[in-house]
Order: sequence, then C-alpha cells, then structure tokens
Amino acid sequence: MSGHMASSSNGGSGSGDSGAPRRNSKRPKYSKFTQQELPACKPILTPKWVVSAFLIIAIVFIPIGIACLLGSRDVVEVVERYETRCIPPAYANNEVQYIQSSVDKTCNISMTIPKRMKKPIYVYYQLDNFYQNHRRYVKSRSDKQLKSLKNENDTSSCKPEHLATNGGAIVPCGLIAWSLFNDTYIFSRPNNQNNQSLTVNKKGIAWKSDKEKRFGKDVRPKNFQGGGLRGGGDLDATIPLSEQEDLMVWMRTAALPTFRKLYGKIEVDLEANETINVTLGNNYNTYSFNGKKKLVLSTTSWIGGRNDFLGIAYLTVGMICLALAIGFTVVYFVKPRRLGDPTFLSWNRGPGSH
Amino acid sequence: MSGGWERLKGSRSRTTRDSSFHTPAPSRTVTLGRVQPQAPGHRTIYCNDREANLPVRFKGNSISTTKYNFLTFLPKGLFEQFRRVANCYFLLISILSMTPISPVNPVTNVVPLSLVLLVSLIKEAFEDWKRFQNDMVINNTLIDVLQNEKWVALPWKKLQVGDIIRSFCRGAFCHLLVIGPDFLTEFLMLLCHLIVSTFSNSNFAAICYHLSFIGKIEFGNVKKDGFFPADLLFLASTNADGTANLDGETNLKIRKALERTWDYLTPDKATEFKGEMQCEQPNNSLYTFTGNLIFQKQTLPLSPNQILLRGCSLRNTEYIVGAVIFTGHETKTTLAKGNESMGILNMGKVMMNSMNVPSKRSTLERKLDKLILALFATLFIMCLIGAIGSGIFINRKYYYLSLDKAVATEFNPGNRFAVAALTLFTLITLYSTIIPISLYVSIEMIKFIQSTQFINKDLHMYHAETNTPALARTSNLNEELGQVEYIFSDKTGTLTRNLMEFFKCSIGGEVYGSGVTETELGGAQRNGIKVQEVRKSSTAIHEKGFNFDDHRIMRGAWRNEPNFDACKEFFRCLAICHTVLPEGDESPEKITYQAASPDEAALVTAAKNFGFFFYRRTPTMIHVRESHVEKMGKIQDVAYEILNVLEFNSTRKRQSVVCRYPNGRLVLYCKGADTVIYERLAGGNDDLKKVTRAHLEQFGSAGLRTLCLAYRDLSPDTYESWNEKFIQAKSSLRDREKKLDEVAELVERDLILIGSTAIEDKLQEGVPACIETLFRAGIKVWVLTGDKMETAINIAYACNLINNDMKQFIISSETEAIREVEDRGDQVEIARFIKEEVKKELKKCLEEAQHYLRTVSGPKLSLVIDGKCLMYALDPTLRVMLLNLSLNCHSVVCCRVSPLQKAQVTSLVKKGARKITLSIGDGANDVSMIQAAHIGVGISGLEGMQAVMASDFAIAQFRFLTDLLLVHGRWSYLRICKVITYFFYKNLTFTLTQFWFTFQTGFSGQRFYDDWFQSLYNVIFTALPVIIVGLFDKDVSASLSKKYPELYKEGIRNVFFKWRVVITWAWSSVYQSLVFYHFVTISSAGGKNSSGKIFGLWDISTMAFTCVVITVNLRLLMMCNSITRWHYISVGGSILAWFLFIFVYSLLRENVFFVIFVLMSTIYFYLSALLVPVVALLGDFIYQGIQRCFFPYDYQIIQEIHRHEPDDNTRAGLLEVGSQLTPQEERSYALSQLPRELSKHTGFAFDSPGYESFFAAQLGVYAPQKAWDVARRASMKSKPKTPKRN
Repeated sequence: MSGHMASSSNGGSGSGDSGAPRRNSKRPKYSKFTQQELPACKPILTPKWVVSAFLIIAIVFIPIGIACLLGSRDVVEVVERYETRCIPPAYANNEVQYIQSSVDKTCNISMTIPKRMKKPIYVYYQLDNFYQNHRRYVKSRSDKQLKSLKNENDTSSCKPEHLATNGGAIVPCGLIAWSLFNDTYIFSRPNNQNNQSLTVNKKGIAWKSDKEKRFGKDVRPKNFQGGGLRGGGDLDATIPLSEQEDLMVWMRTAALPTFRKLYGKIEVDLEANETINVTLGNNYNTYSFNGKKKLVLSTTSWIGGRNDFLGIAYLTVGMICLALAIGFTVVYFVKPRRLGDPTFLSWNRGPGSH
Repeated sequence: MSGGWERLKGSRSRTTRDSSFHTPAPSRTVTLGRVQPQAPGHRTIYCNDREANLPVRFKGNSISTTKYNFLTFLPKGLFEQFRRVANCYFLLISILSMTPISPVNPVTNVVPLSLVLLVSLIKEAFEDWKRFQNDMVINNTLIDVLQNEKWVALPWKKLQVGDIIRSFCRGAFCHLLVIGPDFLTEFLMLLCHLIVSTFSNSNFAAICYHLSFIGKIEFGNVKKDGFFPADLLFLASTNADGTANLDGETNLKIRKALERTWDYLTPDKATEFKGEMQCEQPNNSLYTFTGNLIFQKQTLPLSPNQILLRGCSLRNTEYIVGAVIFTGHETKTTLAKGNESMGILNMGKVMMNSMNVPSKRSTLERKLDKLILALFATLFIMCLIGAIGSGIFINRKYYYLSLDKAVATEFNPGNRFAVAALTLFTLITLYSTIIPISLYVSIEMIKFIQSTQFINKDLHMYHAETNTPALARTSNLNEELGQVEYIFSDKTGTLTRNLMEFFKCSIGGEVYGSGVTETELGGAQRNGIKVQEVRKSSTAIHEKGFNFDDHRIMRGAWRNEPNFDACKEFFRCLAICHTVLPEGDESPEKITYQAASPDEAALVTAAKNFGFFFYRRTPTMIHVRESHVEKMGKIQDVAYEILNVLEFNSTRKRQSVVCRYPNGRLVLYCKGADTVIYERLAGGNDDLKKVTRAHLEQFGSAGLRTLCLAYRDLSPDTYESWNEKFIQAKSSLRDREKKLDEVAELVERDLILIGSTAIEDKLQEGVPACIETLFRAGIKVWVLTGDKMETAINIAYACNLINNDMKQFIISSETEAIREVEDRGDQVEIARFIKEEVKKELKKCLEEAQHYLRTVSGPKLSLVIDGKCLMYALDPTLRVMLLNLSLNCHSVVCCRVSPLQKAQVTSLVKKGARKITLSIGDGANDVSMIQAAHIGVGISGLEGMQAVMASDFAIAQFRFLTDLLLVHGRWSYLRICKVITYFFYKNLTFTLTQFWFTFQTGFSGQRFYDDWFQSLYNVIFTALPVIIVGLFDKDVSASLSKKYPELYKEGIRNVFFKWRVVITWAWSSVYQSLVFYHFVTISSAGGKNSSGKIFGLWDISTMAFTCVVITVNLRLLMMCNSITRWHYISVGGSILAWFLFIFVYSLLRENVFFVIFVLMSTIYFYLSALLVPVVALLGDFIYQGIQRCFFPYDYQIIQEIHRHEPDDNTRAGLLEVGSQLTPQEERSYALSQLPRELSKHTGFAFDSPGYESFFAAQLGVYAPQKAWDVARRASMKSKPKTPKRN
C-alpha cells in the first residue's frame, strides 16, 4: 500500500528542494543519481581518436616487438629429435617391445652448435603427444602427501597409483609421479682438447616455490614404482622430495600435449660449430603412443627461451595498427563524413536506405 | 419517508440480483468469486460484550500481508527461487558436479548458485519487511472503540469481534444536502440507488454528478476519508435518515442501518446496545450477507445493506457507529483478494497491497529466453563435439593414463560409447558457465533500481498540481517502454480534461477572443515560429468554463462595437437557449451551473461574464440579470418566459428555445451544428454567412468545438399555429420523438445567423506536443473512446492526430442505408447488412490505402471507425482486412467503443501484428484495455484508481509519456540490451577458451581454470561493472532524447537486440577466446625467465584468466556511451579484485600454489598482459571504428552534433522545465503571429462525454437512444424514464 497511510507515517519525506511549502508533498527529492545526471565523461570515437589510438598502439608495440624479437633471437637453441634414431634397426618395427625390453638402451647422438652459446645452457627434453593435461592424469596426485610426511597416506586422489602391491602407500603417489620421465643425457665435447664431458647441473631447475613449499623436506619416496607395472623413472628413496627437482619439474604438469621440461644446466660456454656428443639413456616409453622425444639445448635472454611469438605478435599488431591508421586517414580524406552530419540520420536519409 | 425507504430497499435487493444478469462486471464477480467452503453453522456474535465472545476465539483484527515468517522464509523462499528454470538448471549442474564424472569441484557451480540465491533471498526478505512495515502501519491506525461508556482510540489490531466502534468521515463536506420536494428527492435517491447497484463502476460518479443538481450530493475529498477497520454491522449514523454513502474509490454505495438501531449513536446510548448477532461464517463474497440480529427479543434480518466492508470509506456522513462482525483476515475484502473481482471492485488504498497484479513479461525477456535456448543448443553442440572426441581419443596406448587396469567406465577404452556419454555430462558441468547464471538476478536488480529510483523519482514526471509522482508498479517492463509502437489512448481524462471552456466567438462577422489553443501552439512550434507571450490584459477573466479575453466586448465594451445588436442577440441567445440549472447563491461569484453537458455550462458562464447573468430558472421562466443593455453601467433583471424547448439530440444536432420577452417579443433562439443551422438560414446576408463560415473553419482547425447561434422573430400568429402542432406532437403516444422532430423542423427555419461560439475542449496540458513527439518517434497513437464520432474526430484534430492533409477513411454505422435497415428492426437482417456494409467499406478503403501507399508522396492516412462497425470488423473473417488497413494508417480513431472492444482492438494489434502496444487510460472502462496491452499505463492523481490498479505504470499526465517512453523506456531498452549482450559475450568468451583447451586435453574434460576462478568469474570479477552500465549508461541526455524523438525508432526496430547483433557479439567472443587461448599457450612455450624455467598448466591458465578478466572488463568500458566515476570504480575494482583474490588464493591452494608470484616474476607476464587484451580488443575496436565512422547509428550522430555542449540536464534545466509547467491557461499569445490554417473541419461538437460514453461502456454497445436525456428530463420534471437496458 503506498497510499496516504504510508505517507503519513513518513510525512517528513520532504518537499523537495524547490522549497515548496506543501506538507506531505510526494515530490521526489532531487539527487544526481535519481535524475540520472551523474557527471560522466562521454567519449566519442571520432576518426581522430581512432587514428590516434592506432598510432599509439603502433608506436608502443613496434619497439616492444623488435625488442622481444631481438631478445628471442639472441637465444641459441639446438633441437635434436632422437626417439627414432635411438631404435636399433632390429627393433625398427617394434619400438614398443624394444622400449619395454631390458636391453641396453644407451644411444649416442651428436649435436652441432650453430652459434656460440653462452653459459648457462639449459637442457630440455621435449615430449610430444603426451597428454599431461588429461583429466585423469592431472588429478592423479596428492599435493598434501607431497608436502608433508604426516599426510603420507592421503592418497585417495591418486588412484589407480595409490597403493603399492605390498599395500603401503606410494610416495609420491599418482599417475604423474608414476610416469616420471627417465631418459638421461650425458654430454661430451669430442672436438675439445681433452674430450671432456660436460657436467649437467640438475640443481635449480624447479621453481623456488615448488622446492620450498610444495615438496616436503621430510617426505622421502616410498614404495615408488611399487605398484606392479613400472610407469617411468625411479626415485632415490634416500633423498627427500624437496631435493628431487626432476620430480618437481615433471609434476608441474604441462598445459599442452607438446611440452618442454627442464632437465639441467650446462654451465660452460659452447663454441659455434662445435659438435657435442650426447649419450642418451633412451628409457622413456613414448613409442606406445607415437610420441616424439627431443633434446633441446638453449640459452636464455631477458625474455627467457627462444620464442619468437611474442615479438612477432607485437610487431604484427603494431604494423597492422600503423596500416589501419594510414588506411583510416586515407579513407577519411577520400570519403569524409563530417562529424554530426545530420544528413546521415536515418530519418533524413529517406526511406529504404536503412 | 420511511415508506420510501422500504421501497428503495426492496428495489435494491431486486436490482442486485437482476444486475448480475445484465451487467458483465458484477456478474463475473458473483460467478467467479471463489466462495469458500463454509464451516458448518454460523457464527454468533455478542455485540458490545467481549467476555461473551471470548469462548469462540475469533481472530484478531491485525492483518499480515507478508509472504514469509521466520520459519517459512527459507523453504518457501527457496521454493520460489527454484521455480525459475535457470536456477533449476544450475541446481542440476551443481548436483552433477558432485559426482565423480565432474571435472570441476562442486564449488564451481555451488558458489555462484548460492550467491545468486542469497541475493534473491535478501531481496525477498527486504520486500517482505516492507510489507510487514505497511501492515504495522495499518494495524496501528487508530479507531474509536466504545469502552466504559467512552470512545477510546485503539489501534486497529486491538479490535475484536463484537466491539462497537465509531468511524468518522474526515472529508470536507459530510452532509447530504437535499433540496426540492420530498418525492423528487426520494425518486432521485431511488434512481441513484438503482444505478449504483447496477453499475459498480467509476463512471457512476459521472452519473451522480449529473444527477446531483437536484438532490445535491456533496462529494467529499477522497484523500481525507477514513477507512473502516473491519467488516461492520452498521448501527447508526449522524444522518437523521440513517443513510451513509460509502466509497471504495468512486463507487458509491448507499447503506442503511436498521431502523431499530438508529438511536445508538452517542456513547451512553451505544453502551446500552446489547444484541446477539447470528450470521454466516466469513466468506469472500462481497455482495452477499445473511444474518439476523437478535435484539430486544426480536429477530431482525440483516442484509448486505447493513454491512460496511473493511477498507471502504465513509462519505457524506459525519460519523457512523457500527459493531464489528468480521476481523482481520476474515473480512470479506481480504478473503476476496486475488479474486478477479478485485480488478473490478476495488476497495481503496488500504487494500492496495493485497492486489495481485497480473504479471507481464517483457518481449525482450522472451527473446532472451530464445537466446538462452540458443546457448543451450551451443552448449549441447560443444559437449557433443567433446564427447565424440573423447570416445575417439581414449586408447590404451596412453599407458601413462593407466587405462589397463580395472578402470572406471568414464575412461574405459573398451566402451567408447559409454566414455562419450559420460564425457557429455562431464563437459556440461565444465561448460555450464556458458549460461550466465547471474544474468537474471542482475537484470532484476537493474530493473528494480531503474523503476524505483529513476522512474518513480523523476522530477520531470512529477505533477505538482496533483502532487503525484510517476509510479512504476512493476519493474518487469522497463525496457518494453523503449519499444512501444502503438499507443491506445482513452480520450476523456487522458487526452482531455473533460473541461469545456468558452474560448472564442464570432459575432456578426467579427472574431473575438485572443487566446491561442494548444493545437495552434503545437503547429506554430512545428513551423519554428516563436510564440511570444503577451501579458494578460486586466479585463481577462478566467474561471471554470470561461477562458476568454477581448477588451472589445468585455465589461460592456460591446456597446461600442459596430455590430452592437448582433452582440446583444448573441449574448441573450447564450443566456436563454439552454437547459442549464443554476445552483447556489444568486450572485455571479457563487453561482454554479449544472448542465447536461459541460459545453452548455460553459456557454452560460460566458453569457454571465458578458453581462447576461442567468441566475434563476422556474418551469416557465428564465431570469437574466442584464448589464449595460440600456446604457453603460445599468443593471436590470429581466424575466423571459420560456414557451417551448426543442431539445437537443444527436440527429437534430441543434437546440431551440422559444421565449417571450417582457415586452411581448417572441423569439426563437437556436444553437447547433453549423451544417444544420446553415441549412435553415433565411436568404440574404451572404457576406456574414461566408465570413462566419470562414471563422468556423478557423476555429475548427484550431481544435475548438463550434456551435452556430441563430434566432428568428416569430409573430404571435405564426407561433400560436405552430404551438398547437407542437402540443399535439408532445401528447401523442406513438412515435412521439419523431413527431416532435418533425414539428420542430417547421419552426426552425428562416433563421438569422448571429455568430458562432468556439469552446475549447480542454486538452490535458501538452497533449498535442506530446503526440507530435510520439509521432516523430515512430509511435502510432490510436484513440479509443466511447464518445460520439464528431467529438472523437474533433479531439483527434485538436491533438494533431488527424489533420486536413490526411486522407481520412470513415467507417460509420450512421449511414442512411444502415439506418433504413435498422428501422425495419430485423436483428438478423441488421447484422447481416451491417457486416456486408463494413466489408464493402473495408475493402474499398484498403484498396484506396494501397493505392496511396504505392504513390511516393501520397497523403498520410487515417481511419475513423465507430463501435458498431468495429464489432463486425473484428469478426474473424474481416479482422485481417481491418488490421491491414489500420496498420497502414497513420492514426486511428475508434469511437463509441465498449471496454471490451478497446481490449479487442488492443489485442488485435498485439497478437495480429505482433507489435508492442501500450494502453493508457484513467477510468474503469480502460481496465480491460490496460490489461490487454503489453504495457498498461494508468493516469493517476485523480479520483478513480481502477485504471492505476490494473496498470503497470501510473503517470499523472498524458504528456509524461514522452519522458516515460522516450527517456526511461529508451534508456532501459538500451541498457538492458547492453547488459544482456554483454553477459552473453563474457560468458561465451570465457567458456570458449575452456572449449579450445578441451581439444588439447584429449577431450578429457580437464578444466583449464581453477574451480574458484570459474565460479567467481561471474559473480565477482565481472559482475558489478555490467550492473553499473545497466544503471548509468546513456547515449544521449534526456533532453536530447526528447529533442530527437526519432531516436526511439531504434527501439521499435529492436536494433540493439537482433540476432545480427547477437551474432556479431558471438563472433567477437570466438575471436577473443581464440586470442586468449592460443596467444597465451603459444607464447608460453619454452623457458620463461632467464633461468629457463618452464610454466605448468596452472601458470598458463592463470595467465589466460588474467587476460580474460582484464579484457572483458575493458570491453565493457568500450561499449559505454558515458563513463561515470562508478564505471571506473567498478571496472578497476573488478580487475583489482581478481588480483587481490589471486594473491591470497595462490598462497592457499596447492594446485595454483604461488602461480601468480611465479608469473609476476617474469617479464613474459607483463608483455602478455599488455599484448593479449590489446589484440583481443583490437578486433572490436576496428569494428567499432569502422561502424562509427562509416555506418553510424543515429544516436552516435546526435552525440557528435552535441559533443561540445555540456550535459544540459543540469539543475537549471530542470527548473526551467518547472517553469514551463505553469498552467497553460495562464499563457496568452498573440494570435496575429500565428499562421492561419483554414480547414473544412469546423469542429462541431456538442455532446456530453460523461454519460454517453458511460452507457456505451456499460452496455457493450452504443448509447441507447437518448439515454443521456434521462437526467435532464428528470430535471425538467417531465415524466421520468429509466434507461433501458438491453
């Protein structure tokens, strides 16, 4: 009921600001909000604004693009696909059997360094067609268990890799850990004076937060790969998880089925045209699902590893905007529409033109 | 006296029964009223004896209209919420997400759902709280209750059954003033009563008004009346005869206490009253009551006549004393609430909150449903693609997924079909965000604020005179206001004020009167001519019925005019030739005139102001106080003997009086339509005729109602011979009317033209300008009125609905052919014939219309059709033709239509043409039309609330439609369109990024985003800004909206919510989602900082999500036309909220642990956060740039035209508007500055809108023959005749 009974109860609702002396006035009070007169900026997208916006984008983006591209081009990257090369001819048509057999899987390949690579040189392995982002895979882990010893038995999320055949909890549990990548790479420089091997530093390859917070210092591998089938690499049960950087890297699951993961660092400069030998432990089974394996050596720059995408994208967008700015300007001069030209109003254009 | 009342009572009860068969309205109430099952037996009430009533435990008088209480709030409120499909859908999704097949944590879906429910429940609780407060106010209203021989003021809620109470009428006039002989009074009361009980309709007020000149009933001020607190037994009243008039709103009902109880008026007397009442149990039937009062050992039967219903108010009586019968929720009005009957009988404002308004949904919302369905389809297709993909993908070769062992069905490669089926459900939960869950609640909030804060509080729509602000009674239809294409308007009370004012005249070939009509003003403004305000001269007089100023003839100055004699005749004709009754003191200031039509009153008032003051009427004489006749300043009373009155009727279109001067001169004065008068003029003096004709046309085009005045001197011989014939005709028993007409013809000839009058049928303020604006906005205005065709056409001219440039199609039943057939009287034949005629006419008009439409610059078309023809034209076989014709017409006038036909016409356009319709009206006869249209608008601020009660919006003046439609409607439409499309866009974009990710996860349904990201996306990170846009966005200011009404056409064409618009947004979504997903994933491959470390899934998804939140919020800013501080705050706040959230959240959750810090430690993050939003928005920016520069919308051009002007909507502007609102009558403009338009339309109209339309309305057909004359006949003491009802 909005009748007068209500108004009598709140008779002080005011007589508005015009000072009308009438009591019980229902005149609404003036406020900028209710009268919808809030101060507002009213941007109008005039051609001038459009062109200047494009120009600004171009001016900002092209330099950034060039910088990114330069940064990315600074990076020297050597990629070597090896999973087919490391199959002995005898197993050429039976790769899965080979990888599952217990024959020695050592394999030697050599890589040529196209340009001088400054230390540190990062060693990555790149897998292909490996769905680390599969739903079944992603959730098959127990972050609690990884973090602290007291949650050792918190493995319910890890099915089916949660219990070892002996009934004990697997630490670290789950499909991710179970399928730990276990190819090994040993580098040597044959052309160097003393054929010295290149040590691969496997420390400092995981993100600091993983190392310090997510993987417990008191958690040690237990019953690992003890669930019957072997999925991948093994872990040293004496080393706490917080030191197992390989595992940390592996367990930071990749977003895409093609991904790189950091294997280690070579802290020596490599010269241009130098050939280095890699002794591979080709242990990891990607043959089942026709996955590629690649070994990548890469330096980094301020922008990170080799990735031209950002640079190209910035440059392209900058260029497009420049072109658009020019295009708009040209069109604007060729076929201008005067701002606020009333002849463009639909009711002035006559029927049928809309 | 009492005998008379017995008769009255008897007839009343009979009529009540009869009426239920004759009139549609009350009968519906009776038949449809859900009479509740009666508890066995009856209730016995001991009056004035609380102890005796105690054992029965009657319910208290406190009422509660709240929906919930503390216990029922949650279950009931939740149940209400889940009646919405969207909420049900999300409940289903939430349940699904609890199952193991869900890729997401239940939290994803439960959190938004609960938040939405929470907001809705808070809103419900708030509204219920308001209702509770209202109840409290009602329950605590004070009423005098008899306690210990004293009247004690108690709150209503303390009232108990059996209490004796006293209820005051707090109106100004509280007495029934009766003049004249007793039998006449009684007769009138009877008549009054008959009509009241027959038509419970607000138009009754009109009848009463016209009856009131004899048994004068003073109408108190409605606003001040007290209401009855409960259903009462009427015991006694201050009126000696024991009557009281009750009023719901304007429906007066006479109640009469039992004679035996009349004395119990004073406290000491009333204390003695100890009666036992046996009556029916509480029920919802408003018109029935049975019971007995056992009093002083006598059993007195009680009838509805003694019952006063709760919520009704008292009139014409100082106070009444009553005993409480039913209290609180047991009162009849409360029980009847929700009944359809309440739409018809409404019980005053107390009951207003118990009215159930039929809820309407806006067209846009229905279209939104389609969009939601389309989204469901999209969702299904996406899920299907994913499901098929998963079935194909799943393979044991992916040994790392460990699919060899006993694996759950959802991943079992052995049963690909099952995998696909289960993945389908998985994906549904994953993509559930495509349906914007918070959309409905956001829209509801926006609309609620729009209606309560903007529409209700708009100062432009506040009417100071009646102290009425606009009222949005529903918030469902705000945006519908922006798309109205057809307006159906009532005439009286809506377009016009039903106030006739003498405005101009032409005497002896000279025009007098310097006023400028609303129509002329409108025309001048259209032509860009500035009308200057001219100071009013000191001679100007303005009173009711007279708005005229010309120093040449005022204050006796006419004596100096060259046509001095004509003036005298003119004024005498005005003073003598009428059927008006004077009332009140016989002084010019205090007298009031009671006339059958306001036109007549205006003419007599004019005569008074010219110095011919008609002050007394006796059956044979008219007394006129004439000034300045003999010489200046001399005043003399002259008595003219009225010999014959030849009455007005619609066929004669004229009225004559034969009078004898004191000096013996016999004159016939005649006034009437120019056509009939000109036919009867004596030969000669062609100049005068020509000039007067020109003046008539000039008046007509100015929207004035004209009458020609003429006289004829009669010689005694001529008169005597004629009078014999007249007396014969008058006393004939057969065909009296016809014979009288024929006799009149004999004397009404050889007339001498005096001049013409021009009366302004006062339009509501600003109506022509408003209609003009609405026309320009592409809205077509139809007038549906119960009035005569002439009146309707006249008003249509005055309102600029029709002008002489238009081609008019008139389909009328008043043709010779039809009349001929009607005279034969065969109903079947009449129906068949009229139908044929109408069909022929329609076909002819349609052909002609199509011909005109084909020609390029053909005239605009207009259609005038009357109710009888309409009845046949609405026949299913002719309906299409009618629709085709009327849709091609610029304006349509339907006259003599019944309320039902009003509704039929409305739904014809609504359903047949699928256009959005709005009906506006003020009376009960507009209710059906108001309910039938998409939007019903009621005129508020005056008496009669039925229209308002049935309406969706209530405004005080017709002209406020401009603000309501062009400003609020248009903005609401724009805003809601933006809100909907934006919701659509943001959810689609978000979901599509998820969809693209699915392709690279082996269709496993892995989520891309963290659960909480997904759940808070809709309710926190993107929720507020869109609401701000829904509230504040405006393309052009209010004044520009009104200045360029054409902008409104964008709404009619639904430019902003077409499928094309939706598809454009969809493309934008696809593009942006592709950018988000691919740019982020591609650029994030490889080492991402100088130490070569690699991102994982959650790093990348957080990156993508950041980009989505930034982009989506910035996109909103891009679509804003005006950016207030709140936009910045909300957009900035939303983005900031995301960062705050992720900072905290990434410290807590394992899977996204530290991601934001990892991300922010890389340069990559900043480079991407700049690149991705820019690229994503670039597409839209280019689109907007091209669109704006080369294909601008109208509003954009208007923005550009006025880009340098500051917002003109400032306070000063508002005050200026305020000064424009000064009453139009205070303005006077120089006529000479106006262009003169001559038209063939002379604007004859002389009828009485009140009752003709009333009868037409009531009977569903046309005014019965001369029904309106009944009241006047009664006044002339001729034989009374009750209106025929058939």
